[in-house]
Amino acid sequence: MGLDYAAVEKEVCKKMTAETIVSMIRILVFPGALFLFTLAFFYEWVDRKFFARLQNRYGPLHTGPHGILQPIADFFKLLSKEDITPHASDKLVFILAPIFYFALPLTTLFVIPILSQTSLISFEGDLIFVIFAFTLIIITVFLAGWSSINRFSTIGSMRAAVQMLGYEIPMGLVMVGPAIAAGSLSISRIVEWQSLNFWLILLQPLGFAVFTVCLLAELQFVPFDIPEAETEIVAGWRTEFSGRKLALLRLGRDLELVLASALITSLYLGGSQQFWLIPPIVIFLVKTTFAVMLLSLLRAVFARFRIDQMLSGMWKYLLPLAALQIILIQLGLGG
Amino acid sequence: MSYGSIIKVPFGPQHPALKEPGNFLFEVDGEIVVDVKPRIGYNHRGVEKAFELRTYIQNIYLAERICGICSDAHTTCYTQAIEELLGVEAPPRARYIRVIIAELERIHSHALWVGIAAHEIGFDTLFMYVWRDRETVLDMFEMISGNRIHYAMNTIGGVRRDIHADMVSKIKKGLDLLEKRLKYYLNVVQTEQTILKRAVGVGILKPKDAVDLCAVGPTLRASGIKNDVRVDDPYAAYDEIAFNVITHDGCDVLSRILVRCEEMLESIKIIRYGLDSMPEGIIRVQVPMKVPQGEVVSRVEAPRGELIHYAKSNGTTKPERYKVRSPTLGNIPALCKMLLGGYVADIPIVLAGIDPCFACMDRMAFVDVKKNKEWVWTMQQLRRKYAKK
Amino acid sequence: MAFVKEALKQLFRRPATLKYPYEKLTLPRDFRGRPIWDMEKCIGCGLCFDVCPSGAIKMIGKGLEAEIKHYVDRCMFCGQCAETCPKNAITMSEEYELAGFDRSKMLYEYKRDT
Repeated sequence: MGLDYAAVEKEVCKKMTAETIVSMIRILVFPGALFLFTLAFFYEWVDRKFFARLQNRYGPLHTGPHGILQPIADFFKLLSKEDITPHASDKLVFILAPIFYFALPLTTLFVIPILSQTSLISFEGDLIFVIFAFTLIIITVFLAGWSSINRFSTIGSMRAAVQMLGYEIPMGLVMVGPAIAAGSLSISRIVEWQSLNFWLILLQPLGFAVFTVCLLAELQFVPFDIPEAETEIVAGWRTEFSGRKLALLRLGRDLELVLASALITSLYLGGSQQFWLIPPIVIFLVKTTFAVMLLSLLRAVFARFRIDQMLSGMWKYLLPLAALQIILIQLGLGG
Repeated sequence: MSYGSIIKVPFGPQHPALKEPGNFLFEVDGEIVVDVKPRIGYNHRGVEKAFELRTYIQNIYLAERICGICSDAHTTCYTQAIEELLGVEAPPRARYIRVIIAELERIHSHALWVGIAAHEIGFDTLFMYVWRDRETVLDMFEMISGNRIHYAMNTIGGVRRDIHADMVSKIKKGLDLLEKRLKYYLNVVQTEQTILKRAVGVGILKPKDAVDLCAVGPTLRASGIKNDVRVDDPYAAYDEIAFNVITHDGCDVLSRILVRCEEMLESIKIIRYGLDSMPEGIIRVQVPMKVPQGEVVSRVEAPRGELIHYAKSNGTTKPERYKVRSPTLGNIPALCKMLLGGYVADIPIVLAGIDPCFACMDRMAFVDVKKNKEWVWTMQQLRRKYAKK
Repeated sequence: MAFVKEALKQLFRRPATLKYPYEKLTLPRDFRGRPIWDMEKCIGCGLCFDVCPSGAIKMIGKGLEAEIKHYVDRCMFCGQCAETCPKNAITMSEEYELAGFDRSKMLYEYKRDT
């Protein structure tokens, strides 16, 4: 009795096709790209609306209920606008930079657990990958500004690079804190550990504070919007971008906001965990919305620093605080 | 930081930090400004020439439109000059109303400036709050004069509208609210660390330089020098009202913010006193259309500083020559001094620090430096050059 | 930190902005809007035409047959015409939404019905 190889092969193929389709859907639709785009637009709206209310304004109002469709409308409007590439610019880099700027946070979001406690892609060391991706984003920003050969863009990109030197080290240090506590460099494991123990914000409040400040700098929000300080250098590194490229840059910024809030949620607020009957995805959305609101509150209550003040502040205060947090964990507190 | 080579960075005429066109060419060594060359005149509108073509009554409204923010200061200065030529004086009640309007305008102008300054250093929330509370003053103006910005209150020989009793109570109510808010903002600018970081020790103008370079208004008072036309050469009803001239001796942007904030509080006191002690009576006197021959100089303390108008009459219904020296022009040399040695990132806030108003300032004259000659154009020559076909 | 408290307080306040085309401010009693001529009272003296600083008023004909043309695109709502008018034939109305795309439509003509 020989094996029916043809039948087995057919069976395997069928199973694989089904699996491929499922994973394709997971990556492209839910909780992958399409879901993340929607989330990005939604959080831009939350940020704008909340920021406006803090300033006693209405914010977006007319497109959709309470203006919820405004970010999408802005996106499509920009897509239809004239796309200008400056004559003197470094064309290849100038065209590629927006694509990278938009693709990087999107890819990074795949390692963050959204639907359940394990993420779409999870491997030991994906936390390191996130840190690396953050650096790559700033390098993209630098290239985008540098390639457009505009005085303001050049100054903006230089400032972005210098700013990165300030906040990257404290941010890297502080992100190691949760990893030490959970004993793993995988974000999914950190979330899992928190669901069994405490939320890390309770154990490492200092780390949470330092991380939030660093994320403000990463997102180029006030008080760290130095690379695109409107009154000083027009729009900074994105001065020359228009049309589709600007649309991509804006979507990239929104995805970065999603990434930042998702990271705060996953590393410090317990991530997407089941609570009673509420599915993890809802918990995740509630927590990330809270994180977005926290970030917009912080950007509403400060004035912009000067680049030298920002650097010295980061090195003098934030870095020692981050180091202190790690020492505290090593001493057995907060881990 | 010095990179050894000096880079030239143009700033303006189109730049988000400047709400009006003006050009500054900076020579920058690393992050430090080593030289500034201002170039003004982008907003020349031929106002002085236009004065010569209109009757004295029409010119009130032209004077009002020299500047949108200090529209009352310009008309006060203009009507004062013409009243002096005519030899008439505004009735006492009109002089009090002029003071009240001028002080309300000072509040609205300074509040606008505090908002702009907050915006220049990226503090948009403070900007929104200050401008929201500034609406109180604008609503008062709308109630008193029928318009929010161009009040058209002054006329030759008095004021056009009276302040009635029901308005007085509303104004007082608004002032109470404003006083509370202004005290809060004064506290915010003194305690908020990020503001202090951007304002303390920035844009230093030493008292001696301030006097040498003829700085005027809050810029001069922030360098610790007591100078105010309202006290030195009282006009309207200022000689009957006691008030303090606010000075600070920090010589930096913070002092300029503080001087303006405290001046607003002082203005509230003046308005309250004015409303209470306003004499009854007529508000205007009739004046003839023709103005006798003569020359006159009139001075007013506009929100931005000392404003000078000069008028020459030849006995007809139109002035022969009119000259306006707006406060911003007086502050430009001092501004260049402040910017020297500062950081590039501090340029917007230092520039905004003098509360520049380029549209008021731009005048035109031809100067040939080599031949040491100076001349002006006639209206026909101007028309030929610039008028639309 | 005091500013954080102030910012959070705003969440419980009504926004200060108006939803303009849907909500409008109530105008004060003596608002200076578009001037309106009452041709019953007008005697065609031409003082308004003489005094107008921006040349927004044109008078065609003379005396009791005069017609008034008011170019609202040139008008700056100073109210000097209403003040000068010896017969109080001009009143400043409350109309202020006068902007348009076509200057030729921004002309108000006042004729006498005979």
